[in-house]
Amino acid sequence: MKVLGISYGYHDSSACLVVDGRIVAGAAEERFTRQKHDPNFPTYAIEHCLEKARLTPRDLDEVVFHEDPHAKFSRVLCAAVAPFPGSRKEFVNSVKAWLGRKLWSLNTISKRLNVAPDRISYLSHHFSHAVTGFIGSGFDEAAILIVDAVGDWACSALYKGAWVDGKPKIDRLLEIAYPNSLGLVYSAVTAYLGFNPNDSECSTMALAGFGRPIFADKIREIITKLDDDSYEVDQSYFSFQSFYRGPVTERFLKAFGPARATNDKLPFNCFSDGQSNGHSTEESISSDAQRFADVAASVQLVLEERVLGLAQKLHSMAPSENLCFAGGVSLNCVLNSRLLRESPFENIYIPPDPGDGGTAIGAALYCSALGGSLAPRSLSYSPYLGAEFDETSDAAMVKHIKFEHILGYLKRGLTLPANTRLTSKTFDSDEALCEEVSTLLMERNIVGWFNGRFELGPRALGNRSILVRPDDTALAERLSRTVKDRAAFRPYAFSVSEEDATKALAIDPSLNRMMRWMQYAVPVRPEIANQVRAALHVDGTTRVQVCNASENPTYHALLTTFGRKFGIGTLLNTSFNPSGYPIVATPVEAMAMFVRTGMDALVLNRTLIRKEVG
Amino acid sequence: MLNPIERIKIKLAVSLGWTMQGKLPEAIRNFQATEADGVWHLRRGMRLLADPRQKAIVFSHSIEEESHADEFTRAYHHYGARPMQPANYERADLYDPKSPAWKTFAFVHVGEHDATERFRLIHKELGNGVLKESLGKIVADEEGHVDLTHDLLLAMGATPGQIKREILKVRLKRAWDRWLRVGKGVVDIFATALLSLIYYVAGFFLFTAARRKLSSRFVEYDNNHLKKLSR
Repeated sequence: MKVLGISYGYHDSSACLVVDGRIVAGAAEERFTRQKHDPNFPTYAIEHCLEKARLTPRDLDEVVFHEDPHAKFSRVLCAAVAPFPGSRKEFVNSVKAWLGRKLWSLNTISKRLNVAPDRISYLSHHFSHAVTGFIGSGFDEAAILIVDAVGDWACSALYKGAWVDGKPKIDRLLEIAYPNSLGLVYSAVTAYLGFNPNDSECSTMALAGFGRPIFADKIREIITKLDDDSYEVDQSYFSFQSFYRGPVTERFLKAFGPARATNDKLPFNCFSDGQSNGHSTEESISSDAQRFADVAASVQLVLEERVLGLAQKLHSMAPSENLCFAGGVSLNCVLNSRLLRESPFENIYIPPDPGDGGTAIGAALYCSALGGSLAPRSLSYSPYLGAEFDETSDAAMVKHIKFEHILGYLKRGLTLPANTRLTSKTFDSDEALCEEVSTLLMERNIVGWFNGRFELGPRALGNRSILVRPDDTALAERLSRTVKDRAAFRPYAFSVSEEDATKALAIDPSLNRMMRWMQYAVPVRPEIANQVRAALHVDGTTRVQVCNASENPTYHALLTTFGRKFGIGTLLNTSFNPSGYPIVATPVEAMAMFVRTGMDALVLNRTLIRKEVG
Repeated sequence: MLNPIERIKIKLAVSLGWTMQGKLPEAIRNFQATEADGVWHLRRGMRLLADPRQKAIVFSHSIEEESHADEFTRAYHHYGARPMQPANYERADLYDPKSPAWKTFAFVHVGEHDATERFRLIHKELGNGVLKESLGKIVADEEGHVDLTHDLLLAMGATPGQIKREILKVRLKRAWDRWLRVGKGVVDIFATALLSLIYYVAGFFLFTAARRKLSSRFVEYDNNHLKKLSR
């Protein structure tokens, strides 16, 4: 049975192909179109999936869309009409977008793929999240928690899942309706703090590390906890309907002070020595900057409390040791760690792409399972489902690139010697490559690492990563300044080989497997803190990736080889993307970022390209 | 040369339109998107090239365009108080991948030419500031790109006659697309008027029901099962 899952229309369009119960390919459209969070029809992602299986749309048995467009339209309409008579613009814009395009998503799929309508199905949005979480978990039964901004009508949802007669049975327990949305509140505060909503929530989470939750009581009043452990959001503080024009109201501004302009400085620094309590040692913190950090800390704390409340409620409704957690809010690694520590669940599974991009996987898997082509509990998939590229022809152009010409177009503020040139070398084996790259890393080079299929989901997990040795904060600062354009308050993370995880992490070793995909912020052992200093947040935690040889053998080999030289198999690992763009997909995109920024070396599969002077 | 209507539009935008709050950053964001779009098409086009020398030329060209996109991002941050939203229009290849590579670059050539004309006029009309400074550098580069892409077309084996015909085709297509956009704009005005009327009439009767619906804390209907489009 061949099933294609599709997600598109709001953000993070994606496609996933399941053939005879096995995920053949899955990818986000943004990787192909280079538009971050691309919401458009996933033409190139579908093309990739079908090419990988050598299929055409005609071969597909079923195409499944990730949400119910009719239910969603009714919610959009209600939200646009309710503030009458002050919402004419929102009503007009919403109706134009929906009647012009979005309401006909299923027909668009049929037309674009030339697939008969009777082969197209759809699920509700949160249900797609739920099946994404449950089917990939490997659990026999589990409680399922979904928290995101908003789907069709639901914003948070509680389910329970089990395999019954070889098929997944997922029962709805409770769905909290729009506009009571934890995800939207967090995004609104993200916008208030001057970051991009639906993109830079990680900045709010990072900034929270520098704040004191002094506004928590006020936020608790806004997101009220109810007697039944659910919550309610006071709408007088938010204007979700006109999100991009200003998602918070005057009342919110009165309570928390004026919003931050994007250019206002936030001089917090996670590379500081710790004696200044994580604050910048170079610039004093203005009261406004501290206020923004305090607001971030407060909303982060209350988000954690409310999600913990939902987890407790879920446990009382569906007692289980296992929790599957998905939806955009589950990208919050600080929250996830707190769930791991304090929720009543023993095991937590978060899929590699728990956001909207991952719903294409859930939709395809569920349909496949109902069709009987998915063995119960057998499915556990890795995130390396994207496209792979042969670098040979692109690497061949290296010797023809006139670097002196490129020198005029480097990243702003970066200068390189006029006699810089590019060299390339291809290796016969991974061992030889890893040996050479480890030496470069030890010598404090910034290395772009491009290998095999790109990852599904927002994390770079060793196939499209930028790597540096993790102990050198000056090097990390150079990385932020000359490569990533990254604010100093945002911490880096590190990867560690499975064999060295226990040496590095101050957690129960039985949890190591959950740390595969950078989904939890965990403390490191004090004795190795200096060795990974550049990849720690101010509180001494890191969003770790524990890499095992079976899931990513080449990257694991690099970690192991580097570990032999460095003492422990850890590398600072950050995503391979220029600021404002998605993670690179092709060798050409990787080379473009490499030549324009302060990266010193680039690995394209088995080819090493270096900038050399002279 | 830009046609007179385009020239007037640009002059009006610079002298009047962009003085309105938020309009200048929005325009800069569109310029950024245009340049980033150019980068994408150039790199998609590179896949069709076998000669590493030609690839290297296009690669360097794409690097310049990318730095232009960054210049506009910088200008946006100078004028705009809010973060820049990523563009979200649908990207698609200009030609079928089986078409000769030079056709893609003919399209790029025309795009470069038109962008240069437009940026040059904007640069002339603008008062001193970050955008003018950025445009000054960009216009100088883009003038070089127009010649470069033309030379590239010849190097790819297209004859002058073929190039001329393709450029004419591209120009006609772009003109047609412009008319479609104008048509869409006109329809949009009527749609806005009609929907506004519907809003005030229907909204008056429906808003209490909508508020009631939004006040319910839980989703009452169970929507969680596989549904078929044809049903």
